Amino acid sequence: VTVLAQLCASLYDSRIGTGIRESDNLYSIIETVHVLAITLVVGTISLVDLRLLGLVLKQAPVSEVLGSLVRVTWAGFALMLATGLLLFWAQATQLSRNPMFQLKLLLLALAGLNALFFHRCMRRTVWDGTTRAPRAAQISALISLAVWSAVVALGRAIAYF
Amino acid sequence: VARWTQEGFMADQKSTAALISVVILSAAPALAHHSFSAEFDGNKPVRLIGTITRIEWTNPHSYFYLDVKDSHGRVTNWGCETGNPGALSRRGWKRGDIKIGDTLIADGYLAKDGSHLIDARRVTLPDGRNVYGGSPGDGGPQ
Repeated sequence: VTVLAQLCASLYDSRIGTGIRESDNLYSIIETVHVLAITLVVGTISLVDLRLLGLVLKQAPVSEVLGSLVRVTWAGFALMLATGLLLFWAQATQLSRNPMFQLKLLLLALAGLNALFFHRCMRRTVWDGTTRAPRAAQISALISLAVWSAVVALGRAIAYF
Repeated sequence: VARWTQEGFMADQKSTAALISVVILSAAPALAHHSFSAEFDGNKPVRLIGTITRIEWTNPHSYFYLDVKDSHGRVTNWGCETGNPGALSRRGWKRGDIKIGDTLIADGYLAKDGSHLIDARRVTLPDGRNVYGGSPGDGGPQ
């Protein structure tokens, strides 16, 4: 934990961290791109989740919905990660101590595990049709919607703790 | 639907529970962008006159710290929160306008939690200029 705290302190004190933190406009530009990237990630993932729950795009096979959206998801994720790292760089010390930020990281990991679990199961299943998705897939979709909603809410909550 | 079983999900949920139990909640305060009413009381105006001991020209809020002497001669260090560097710059308050040791007048509102922190809505700079210090659109008094 001390090593982590020292790492955060040196990130905070670094030229790049300080530059972003003390900038007139750069910080808010990075924040804006971060939010836009989140809309790509959460938006496309939500569409897949809603498809699994049988609420949207019912006529399209899941693999088709997934296939056409997953590249946008990954592009958004790369942008989200990059801008998130820059924002962390500027505020490393405070953020690492913020309970909402810690919980947000944990839920991001959980969202990743859920997606990993879903995709591993997906590869092994024969189901792809327009009938009801298997129960496990629907539960995974519900978890995904809930966890990503919580990640967004916690991101905003960081400012209030 | 091979392998797509409830058991698989139970295992997943267990690892999740294990992960959640790892969270360590820290009591240390962190400062990030928030509205006026999240931290300050609009019914408790205050004027501080003191010398600057520290300056944080930072996003998403800037801070400066004042040593303020009360009527009994006791000195207390107060934190004064203001808007971000970009917003302050647009109002003519530039980075180098205040220095450690300068005397400032800060009119603002006390923190709700009773700590030695105010939201500095009006700041009288060393050169006599009076600048609005609040965060843009934070819902606080002008």
